[in-house]
Amino acid sequence: MPMSGSERALGDDHDATAPSSLPPQPVMDVLREQGRDPTGLRLALRSDLSPDGKFGEQWLLMDDSDLWVLERPNGHARLRYRYPLDAIRDAKVERCVGNGLIQVTVGDEPRVLLHFSNEFIDQFGRVAFYLHERAERGPEVPVPDPDADAHRCRVCRQPLLDRSIKVCPRCIQRGRLLRRLLSLARPYWGRMGAIVGLLLAGVLVDLLPPYLTRVLIDDVLRGDAPQGMLLTLVGALLAIQVVRVGITLSTNWQTINLSTRFTSSLRDALFAHLKRLPVDYFDKNQIGRLMTRVNQDTGELQGLISQMTTFALNILLVIGIGAVLFTMAPSLGLYVLIPTPLVLAAAFFYYRYMRPHFERFWIARWRLNATLNTFLSGVRVVKAFAQEEQEQDRYHRRNEQVLNSRLQVDLAWSRFFPLVSFAFGAGGLIIWYAGGNAVLEGHITLGTLMAFLSYLGMFYGPLSNLTHISQTLNQFLTISQRMFEMLDEEPQVNQPDPIHKPQLGGQIAFDNVTFGYDPYFPVIRDLTLTIEPGEMIGVVGPSGAGKTTLVNLICRFYDVTRGTIRIDGEDIRDLSMEEIRRQIGMVLQTPFLFQGTLAENIVYGKPGATRDEIIRAAKAANAHDFITRLPEGYDTIVGEGGTGLSGGERQRVSIARAILHDPRILILDEATSSVDTETERQIQEALETLVKGRTTIAIAHRLSTLYNADRIVVLNHGRLEEQGPPRQLMDNKGAFYNLVQLQTQLARIDGVVTL
Amino acid sequence: MARSFEVVLLDPNEVSFTRDGDTLGLTMADGTRYPRVALRCAFPVSDDTVHLSVRDASTEEQLEIGILENWGRLREPDRLAVAAELSLHYFVPRITRVRAVKEEFGFLRWTVETDKGPKEFVMRNSVVHYAREIAPDHWLLIDVGQARYEIPDLERLDAASQRLVRRYLYL
Repeated sequence: MPMSGSERALGDDHDATAPSSLPPQPVMDVLREQGRDPTGLRLALRSDLSPDGKFGEQWLLMDDSDLWVLERPNGHARLRYRYPLDAIRDAKVERCVGNGLIQVTVGDEPRVLLHFSNEFIDQFGRVAFYLHERAERGPEVPVPDPDADAHRCRVCRQPLLDRSIKVCPRCIQRGRLLRRLLSLARPYWGRMGAIVGLLLAGVLVDLLPPYLTRVLIDDVLRGDAPQGMLLTLVGALLAIQVVRVGITLSTNWQTINLSTRFTSSLRDALFAHLKRLPVDYFDKNQIGRLMTRVNQDTGELQGLISQMTTFALNILLVIGIGAVLFTMAPSLGLYVLIPTPLVLAAAFFYYRYMRPHFERFWIARWRLNATLNTFLSGVRVVKAFAQEEQEQDRYHRRNEQVLNSRLQVDLAWSRFFPLVSFAFGAGGLIIWYAGGNAVLEGHITLGTLMAFLSYLGMFYGPLSNLTHISQTLNQFLTISQRMFEMLDEEPQVNQPDPIHKPQLGGQIAFDNVTFGYDPYFPVIRDLTLTIEPGEMIGVVGPSGAGKTTLVNLICRFYDVTRGTIRIDGEDIRDLSMEEIRRQIGMVLQTPFLFQGTLAENIVYGKPGATRDEIIRAAKAANAHDFITRLPEGYDTIVGEGGTGLSGGERQRVSIARAILHDPRILILDEATSSVDTETERQIQEALETLVKGRTTIAIAHRLSTLYNADRIVVLNHGRLEEQGPPRQLMDNKGAFYNLVQLQTQLARIDGVVTL
Repeated sequence: MARSFEVVLLDPNEVSFTRDGDTLGLTMADGTRYPRVALRCAFPVSDDTVHLSVRDASTEEQLEIGILENWGRLREPDRLAVAAELSLHYFVPRITRVRAVKEEFGFLRWTVETDKGPKEFVMRNSVVHYAREIAPDHWLLIDVGQARYEIPDLERLDAASQRLVRRYLYL
């Protein structure tokens, strides 16, 4: 695993088998007392819990021959256990509540080594997997680096708080990020230039009116200029207002245009990338989080771009007005700075004092909504159990909280607002006093003072707005970073020169396959199995046995951790992925129908199929009859917001889809497990047409559906427990027999209950 | 493979728990020995002294051996062994004092003292999702690693701690 960062530099030069963090001296001393050389340590891992279940310290150490656990009471070190590595037959970690434990099996006895808090579970998981592998395959198994791939910042190697990005917020390279964002926005550079120009023009126009007021007061109102000047000046002020409105309108228009177009093209880019990513990416990232990434984050970015424009405008204003103030009356300019801390304090105070009130109100409102939502979705249950009163109480309590927090918001606001106005007003009074003196002493004219006061009024607003620039910028950068990381995710690609198999025979061979979604927690272990072309295999076993994982591997949604999978004798990794998947058909437990018509859903795997073919497929899938009974027939819209179909109907549509797709390899994953007996019979009939002549792998919970399988494969905890024709397995009275017995008993109980 | 639907109650005088290191073993009155058992409270939050499920931890399924209705009635050495195992399995530190809370980049860094010792933990700054009021003034804080920290009674913390909690949980 590639290592980066300065912290690991030492380890890189060292023996690769040395542990990445060395235990403290007292621990090493104990090891020495035991006659061991601490430099022979292969692995050293700290736990943050002590044996009495408190925060503390323990160490798990391993050298070439033994495993050691030491505790550290009061800074000392004491040996707890020592086990020879060769005596360890298995190892695993178990999750407890708020912590985990590592257990080894010594001889026949399970032994708990130590507990650790949740943050160490990955590290101990790796050690457990290593010990397990070592027990199975011998001492030549390489020792893992427990810290490898831990959730650490790519730059500073500190543990990551926010695992949705791989760099901690402190280490985001702002400059690089902004440059990248800018280069992504290349098509909009022209528009961005226009916005900057408009902002500058806007600031200039904003600066004009107070200047004209000065002329108005000093020259016109005091009667030194011809009277016609008054009309000219007022006319000019009006013209400036009009121009200002024009500039504001076009700035807004340009900004909205830019942010909307830019984020929309970003969304497109994200989706285009997303669809090329391997399935395991979607496992590691929940759907909700990805939705946020693609939709909400881009939306937020859009808002942030507008906010950035406001910031830019305010920066320009502060600089422009500041410059004018100081050049107009340098002595007064200094007085402007006196209320500045007051203004900044008010802005800070707003965040500190007002925001929690709003926050509290939003949370209370969210809880109220959640309560209402729960009531509405569970209204039948509430009524059935006659618990309306209880619900009323619950809602009333929440509503009270909303009321109170709303009152608090308004109260706080009514207290806060006069205070702020006072702070701003007091600032003006200082200028009135100092400026008034200056006018009286003849240093400046009255017009200058009036202009000065107008500029001042425009100065503090933008200034206070700039106090939360860093927060917005941080948000902006974090969101951008998150999106770039998604864009940087490696798409799944074929070998450079894949072998083409336009027509598969359909033989699938597992050769010593071990696989885990996390490589340290295998789900399939040492599986060897050959499925012949045209054969129908039934896969059974308890949940978590690895049945679905098996088919995921055939589709090459994942690559094996060890061993090989061959299709028609070729390593699956050498074949063209798209070609293989095109020849695999799937019928899943919960059939997925896309938004669209039934016909569109059926042709999904074979675009361009004729209507005749569609009907043939639907007929073979036992779906034609119910489809023609629908008012819109094959043109019925299904999916989100469309006509509701029953589970069995949806299933038959998905079977029709698979039939039309005409795959060489067919996968049925619990295709009939969630429907009633009559529907199951109809689906079963449909499936019989489908499986003919294809290699079929059927996963089933109801074992009765597998009687016509050529062979049954029983999986348990990722291992092949038993295989053979159903009849033979029944005669053997092994695992399959037991499962069948169990189900027959359950069926009997079922019968009693329904009677 | 057959599973029983009956509740098997264990007689506190007929079971004998032994602790060897962190491993809890069980010997029944009839001599059956389980080298490692796991304990699960049926009501860990509302009452952890009743209905303790004792399970055979040497198999993957961890099948239930039986239920101890009130494990306080166990003989003294057994009771101590069970208490020690429970304190290891249920690791939910109770916050006794909040020293500091720091907000950074959308996270709250809590420096606290707990009944299990001092600790610093990091929680996402989303009160709605990561702070739960399980009963009036009884709070559960969930950190980024899904570890849980309990405030059994907010009113009984010292004033400074209360202020910090109220400020950051928006109470």
